[in-house]
Amino acid sequence: MIKVKKKKTGLCEVDLDGELTIYEAASLKEELFKKIEKCKGVSINLSNVSELDTSCFQILIAAKRECDKREIEFTMNSHSPAVLDVMDLYNMGSYFGDPLVL
Amino acid sequence: MSSPEETFLLECGELLTSMEEALLEMEDNPSDPDSIGAIFRAAHTIKGTGGVFGYDDVEAFTHIVENVLDKVRDNEITVDSNLIAILLSSCDHMEVLVTKAVANEDISDDDKVVDAGLRASLNQYLGVTAPGTNTESTTEIVEGKSSVEIENTGSMVISDNWHISLRFDLEVLQNGMDPLSFMRYLQKIGEIVHVTTLHDDFPSLEEFDPELCYLGFEIAFSSEADKEEIEQVFEFVRDMCTLHILPPRAQIQHFAEVIQSLPEDDMRIGEILIASGVLTERELSNALNSQNKECEGVEACTPTPIGEVLVETKVVHEEVLNVALSKQNKGQLSKSAKQTVLRVDADKLDSLINLVGELVISGATANMLSNNSGDELLIESMSSMSRLVEEIRDNALNLRMVQIGETFNRFKRVVRDVSKELGKDIILNINGADAELDKTVVEKIGDPLMHLIRNSMDHGIESSADRIAAGKDAQGNVWLNAFHDSGNIVIEVADDGRGLDRDKLLAKAHEKGLISDGQVLTDHEVFRLIFEAGFSTAEKVTNLSGRGVGMDVVRRNIEALRGSVDVDKNEYGGTTVSIRLPLTLAIIDGFLVRVGDSSYVIPLDMVNECIELEKGERDENGMHGYINLRDEVLPYLRLRDYFDEPCTQKNNESIVVVKYGSNKAGFVVDELLGELQTVIKPMGKILQNVKGLSGATILGSGNVAIILDVPNLVQRAIQSNNVHGIKSGSENVVLH
Amino acid sequence: MAKTILIVDDSASLRQIVAIALKGAGYDVIEGCDGVDGLSKLDGTKIHLIISDVNMPNMDGLTMVKKIKEMPAYKFTPIIMLTTEAGADKKDVGKAAGVKAWMVKPFKPDQMINAVSKLIMP
Repeated sequence: MIKVKKKKTGLCEVDLDGELTIYEAASLKEELFKKIEKCKGVSINLSNVSELDTSCFQILIAAKRECDKREIEFTMNSHSPAVLDVMDLYNMGSYFGDPLVL
Repeated sequence: MSSPEETFLLECGELLTSMEEALLEMEDNPSDPDSIGAIFRAAHTIKGTGGVFGYDDVEAFTHIVENVLDKVRDNEITVDSNLIAILLSSCDHMEVLVTKAVANEDISDDDKVVDAGLRASLNQYLGVTAPGTNTESTTEIVEGKSSVEIENTGSMVISDNWHISLRFDLEVLQNGMDPLSFMRYLQKIGEIVHVTTLHDDFPSLEEFDPELCYLGFEIAFSSEADKEEIEQVFEFVRDMCTLHILPPRAQIQHFAEVIQSLPEDDMRIGEILIASGVLTERELSNALNSQNKECEGVEACTPTPIGEVLVETKVVHEEVLNVALSKQNKGQLSKSAKQTVLRVDADKLDSLINLVGELVISGATANMLSNNSGDELLIESMSSMSRLVEEIRDNALNLRMVQIGETFNRFKRVVRDVSKELGKDIILNINGADAELDKTVVEKIGDPLMHLIRNSMDHGIESSADRIAAGKDAQGNVWLNAFHDSGNIVIEVADDGRGLDRDKLLAKAHEKGLISDGQVLTDHEVFRLIFEAGFSTAEKVTNLSGRGVGMDVVRRNIEALRGSVDVDKNEYGGTTVSIRLPLTLAIIDGFLVRVGDSSYVIPLDMVNECIELEKGERDENGMHGYINLRDEVLPYLRLRDYFDEPCTQKNNESIVVVKYGSNKAGFVVDELLGELQTVIKPMGKILQNVKGLSGATILGSGNVAIILDVPNLVQRAIQSNNVHGIKSGSENVVLH
Repeated sequence: MAKTILIVDDSASLRQIVAIALKGAGYDVIEGCDGVDGLSKLDGTKIHLIISDVNMPNMDGLTMVKKIKEMPAYKFTPIIMLTTEAGADKKDVGKAAGVKAWMVKPFKPDQMINAVSKLIMP
């Protein structure tokens, strides 16, 4: 579900994968925020996300808000079709400000 | 597997049996909860399931039974032997209703009397005098706290789009409802022009629980749907969200028009607004609640007019309200309830059509007599009457027309199941489901279509892997198209599969001896070979098709309906089989001939040509029973001999060359009398087993003419002339 | 991948006609004939929606829903209750059990597909 690589610069590269649904949401939230607690920047790779629902999408919003609060960089990349679909339906692309490859 | 209808019939049988047993048990033990439960469940299932199948009679009656049982369960009615007797009769009656409904028959007048009697008895227990009907809404939704909560901030924005303002309650996700699904559904009924997702209510990270929903949405939505329809999108979350739906500017104008055009009636403002689609019922009841609340505990209170309440709460635009108010002030007028559909007993319809047939015939008699009389005024008035009779005939036949859509829809399931069985990915596309044709034809076309579709799926469409390799979409398509074409209906079964293999077909035809070496056939001629008896090119015989009886049987079934079938390549590289059918079986275009003293009718569409049979040729070939027709062998049958007509030898006889499928044969007749349009009368029981006759008709002169069963007679002509060395009957045979 | 729907009803013909409609619309369908049978289908298979009758032998629909809400793997699965009883008392019990969506029988198969697609697209 989640893998985090911390680079020397303090930037954390997060890989999310699989079905991100409400059944996974609680543990995903806990794990993600624990793992990025000390990071100096967060970059989330979404290429392997096969399913994304509102509950896990909110975790992405929460992550972005948290990083904004801590004034560190937050980016997402390689959006999978499932992620793009949600981004599109909620028209949230501009909020995250990441380039979306459609 | 049996059809759902059959399952339903069996199920009802079981349920009614257990209901009966439980009722008998109750007679001894009136308060046995198990019995009451069993009875209740039986009625409940029959009503609910019957309704889903659209069996209105079953549903309406069982509904009343259920209501009575409801009261029994709640101890409002005491069970006595009288009630048990009524319920037992109700059981019997439900069985009748279910059986008739499944068989698609109307209930008889006797049953109607029973129905009315039982309803009256049951209603007595309910304390109702008028027969009760089920007026429940079919999409009734949880009532809940008001979801039109009043927000006083912000003014109304008017644009060309609907505006949907949506705030979800926290627990919506935990209930399995995802706002994303509603967005997706909105896209089905219109276009989401713009979405603003609000996430201002997000809590701090510590408090954030991803299982709760913190999002809100402001949606600009462009759609032809009305307000009720848009509100229905959120039916399942209505008590878990705050929802405002504002109509677009265009709609305000539209609402005003609608309100103006409403039948002038003594409607209340709320009803006017609902009828015009400005307001949904739910919104009105919420507004009424808040209107009532105002006055709670206050004596002599004048509540705010409902219109103002609605405008205040942003539910209705003021402009719309004003139009509605002016409408309300107008006078009353009579109600105009219209019945547009009339249910008629099929028997009555058939007897009407029969009478019209008689009318056509006696019209023809009168016509003939008037022509013979030479009285011009009479002839003229007869001809205008004939025209009217023809119109009446066409209109009467039209009454039996049904849409083919229902037959088509059955195949959706077939395609789904068969594609699973075959491990292929195939979808069925249906076009022209509204094309109409005679009910009898519709009933008989199902099996041939089933065969063709299975054939397409089995042999036509390749496996996904093969399709991808061939550069096609992995998903295969089967089309079912129907359209009208000059008095016929054409039904096409098409696929985008690999198409027919010319070489394989030719090889097979050689092997079967259907064609000879050196014969040059066009692609189309080669494709048509698949309709020959015993022709199958499938290398592997599956349980679906490939036994080599398929297409042959299909062709014969279609031809039995006086139709024809053809096959060709289509633009997708696959195969299209087109079936051409007459719109009705009751009327036929015939060719009238005389043999001896009797008249015979040959269906005109099977007549190829007429030739003279010279006396010389007749004598020369008399022994063989075939002639040389432009270098083709044409077997013929002497109708005189076949029907044992007295011999009135003439010098010249004629041969009517008929074609059935690819077989040709000649019928030797004494005289050609020309074309006529006539009504087919079925043969009586005595003549039913006589081969070679398909029906009879009455001529203008009052004489009876026999309609020939061409397929049967052609077969006979060929068999009796099966001379060594000649592959009789096949039109493509060349004499060496 | 097609979404899977579990339909629980003691009427075999109703299951059959609903299943045909849903399959026709592109859903996969699993059937259960009562509450106990319905629960037995929740064996780890991914189920996207449950449609259940209320009044059934062995175990009624509401009891089944209560049990589903206790199953970690299925507690968030949306549930549509079918009922011919529009009585408010049943719905209050239903609400307490966690049922939010109701459909009143009889419905036309099209209405069922429409309702289902509001919650999950095929």
